[in-house]
Amino acid sequence: MHDEQDQLISQVADELRAPVALDPAFDARVMAAVRRAAPGRWRLALRWWTEPRPLRVSPLVGLACAAALAGVVVIGTRAVQPRSAPGTVPVPAAALVASTDAGEVVQFVLVAPQAATVALVGDFNDWDPGRTPLRVTAGGGVWSVNLPLRPGPHQYAFVVDGKEWRPDPAAPRAVTDDFGAPNSVIIVGGKST
Amino acid sequence: MRQLLLLALALAGVPVVRAQEPRLEGRLDPATRASVATLLDSARAAGLPTEPIVDKVLEGMTKRASPDRIVAAVRTLATDLGAARATLGPTASDDDVIAGASALRAGASGEMLARIKGVRGKAGLSVPLAVLSDLVARGVPVDTAASVIVHLAQGGASDADYTGLERGVARDIGAGAPPGAAAAIRARIVTTDGRGALTGAPASVPGKGPNASPKTPARP
Repeated sequence: MHDEQDQLISQVADELRAPVALDPAFDARVMAAVRRAAPGRWRLALRWWTEPRPLRVSPLVGLACAAALAGVVVIGTRAVQPRSAPGTVPVPAAALVASTDAGEVVQFVLVAPQAATVALVGDFNDWDPGRTPLRVTAGGGVWSVNLPLRPGPHQYAFVVDGKEWRPDPAAPRAVTDDFGAPNSVIIVGGKST
Repeated sequence: MRQLLLLALALAGVPVVRAQEPRLEGRLDPATRASVATLLDSARAAGLPTEPIVDKVLEGMTKRASPDRIVAAVRTLATDLGAARATLGPTASDDDVIAGASALRAGASGEMLARIKGVRGKAGLSVPLAVLSDLVARGVPVDTAASVIVHLAQGGASDADYTGLERGVARDIGAGAPPGAAAAIRARIVTTDGRGALTGAPASVPGKGPNASPKTPARP
């Protein structure tokens, strides 16, 4: 009984010790399967960007990156801020140029390079666009006129090309806007008391 | 009282005696002309300045506003002029009444106007009240603006001082100062450092400079 079992075990052991005969094409098939499963260059790149991974950065480098990001945000915000209306550059438009007994001579200036005509209208000329035209100076685009005004507050605006109303970009707006086209205000100073 | 009654009748659209305004002749349709003429007559009878009313009509015509809009604007202006006259009294000049109406429209109260008038005495109110409206338009809270005007008046400020203050505040706001703080600091400079500082260097930032002050000036 014992001998029969030993013989059986020997046979099984011999079978297991025998070398396995492999198909000659086995290696080729395995390598082909491996190559098929390997991701392409783009897939690897995408995986590099999308797969989470731990990132180790020193505090100094982290602060530098944050500062650079903040700088980019600030510069970008400034770049998209609204600017003046096309053709209008804010300059100190209404400026005292001389004093007389009757008041002050005030210079009104508007920078409007695209304009063909510019007129000054206000409570000092019955809002008549034909009475106070501005003259273009300084090589074009800068329009100005000098006008004597009596002391006190005055409301005014510019009329560009006979149809477009523009308040003075450098002066405060009047508190009232009854007709949908805001006016500017200038206060002409009087003599000292 | 009779004057205010006439103005009230005009604002209600009740016809009164009509006078001619040559600058408006032939430029308004009959209905609008009649409304404006009634308002002008009533304003005249109530002792109100009529020039700003004519001026408002001319502005509306030049801006091609509708007749209804012109009449509405003129009625509002006449109401403001009447309120300013009632506050400043019958002896106030036309210029003062016009500036008072503008200040009321800017948000000032009748009590504020009366206080400024009380401090200014016989000196004109036109420029101080115009500067008050200007400061409010620049973003200064109306309470602060009124206090600043009163503060300067108590120091005997001239019209030139007020316009200097206005330019200084405008410069400070342009340099980034908060409007209320800029007005308060400029007003304080007048009484502490002399009037020469009114149009001088920008006011210091609150809490940082030698002239640091609270956001609102001390009330008188």
